Amino acid sequence: MNGAALDRVFREAGGRITAVLASRFRSLDLAEDSLAEACARALDVWPRNGAPNDPAAWLYQTAYRCAVDAIRRRDTATRLASYAAEPDAYEDLPDDGGPIPDERLALIFICCHPAVAVEARAALTLRLVCGLSTREISRAFLLPEATLAQRLIRAKRKIADAGVPFEVPGPEGWPERLDAVLSTLEVAYAKAHEDASGTGPHAAYAIEILELTRVLAQLLPNDPDVLALAATTRFTEARRRSRTNSRGLMIPLSEQDPALWDRQLIDEGRSFLERAMASDSNRWRVVQSAIHAEWCARKSVSDPPPWQEVLALYDVLLTLRDDPVVRLNRAVALAEVSGAQTAIRELDAIDAEVTAEFLPYYAVRADLLRRSGRNIEALYAYEVAISLVTTPAERRWLTERRDMLMRGDKPSSSSPDR
Amino acid sequence: MQFMLLIYEDESIYGPDKDGAAMQQIVAKHMAFNRELGAVRMGGAGLKSTTSATTVRTTKGKQSIHDGPFAESKEQLGGFYLIDVPDLDAAIAVAKKVPVLQDGSIEIRPVLGP
Repeated sequence: MNGAALDRVFREAGGRITAVLASRFRSLDLAEDSLAEACARALDVWPRNGAPNDPAAWLYQTAYRCAVDAIRRRDTATRLASYAAEPDAYEDLPDDGGPIPDERLALIFICCHPAVAVEARAALTLRLVCGLSTREISRAFLLPEATLAQRLIRAKRKIADAGVPFEVPGPEGWPERLDAVLSTLEVAYAKAHEDASGTGPHAAYAIEILELTRVLAQLLPNDPDVLALAATTRFTEARRRSRTNSRGLMIPLSEQDPALWDRQLIDEGRSFLERAMASDSNRWRVVQSAIHAEWCARKSVSDPPPWQEVLALYDVLLTLRDDPVVRLNRAVALAEVSGAQTAIRELDAIDAEVTAEFLPYYAVRADLLRRSGRNIEALYAYEVAISLVTTPAERRWLTERRDMLMRGDKPSSSSPDR
Repeated sequence: MQFMLLIYEDESIYGPDKDGAAMQQIVAKHMAFNRELGAVRMGGAGLKSTTSATTVRTTKGKQSIHDGPFAESKEQLGGFYLIDVPDLDAAIAVAKKVPVLQDGSIEIRPVLGP
């Protein structure tokens, strides 16, 4: 057994071990340090004595003993200093061969507690539940490693000091706490998906987010929102390869080649979505996922785009979640069904303050204005959109559109991927 | 675990002397809330308006006395509760029920100590 094998065991069981130690000893730091120490011992012992039959159980038991030892050392130090009473001992070491209890759900809820800084939640979850290294996460988040390490330290200190409970929340706090978990994963996935070319450092970590949504769906098998998120991330990830052409230019969803889509991911997404709908189809995350499923049902570019069905679903979505993003996406479908003029009137009704720096709004608006022959206004909207865009594939797409409009060419495609 | 719940509201809605109808209304709500808290409540009080505040400031070992609150802000500290609950989630649940008349914020701070 070598380092790579240990790495694999760590990836598979690390989150579970960290979770059970954190919940048993009420300390994220102790859980992390003990597991790290167990890994160090494995690297020392396994090559000499041969790998244990059940490497994960070995790591768990060793980490548990390391944690107990650390507590004994600390308690002894405290006792010597303050003559405090004999502390509770943690003598109930885990049985040999017993399964590792699964406390990952509690750990996910701790990492994504609303009291933890928003920008630290996803990083902490990836670190503790998925076992990603600080370096890996810092690369994914495009942050210096030291900055990310600081964030993690601060978040762990906040959790320890603020009294964040080491349990799955009760019914009273459930909706709010679950929403914090889901939105953390949504933001993290959106970041991983942001760059259409999908070649950046984000691409690999999108897989980790997908894995997290799978774990969450396994732990909460009947929650419609959890299942819908697992479905949506799969539908989106399945289309990654078709999102840009060979020149790195973004391709709008309605023009993407379904032959390039990952069928296995789509099938997985579909089965998550079916379970979500069976649980409660009247949730915005479920309807949103159904829209993705509608697109992913296309088999080839010759299938007509399902604009009518997509618009009908957006109408439902709007009754469950009325916000500018939903209105904007609905307008894109509306333009295909009822014409650009009608869609522009819908856009005009969206609060200008909300859309002031919202790139998709200007990208959609520019396209609709162009199609209505309002070229001057379209050019202006393209300029605003280009000033807001941050990713290369989208920048090229917008710039190309603007230049075509200035030359008087007519593009073949219609609307951006949103 | 003990937590301090610090109540921030725009005190101008209660008038300069905090004795108008708005004040009576919020006091009645706090009385009812106190009964609901029962043994969870370790202490608490409403505070007179910041016009009555005096600040003792220490700078480089030198002390001076100022009229007014420590910091000027849109919402002012107007009262507090000290509660004893198992964890932050329980404290958040209590904080959500602390009455405020209009807009306001409840800052939750764990008490230092074992």
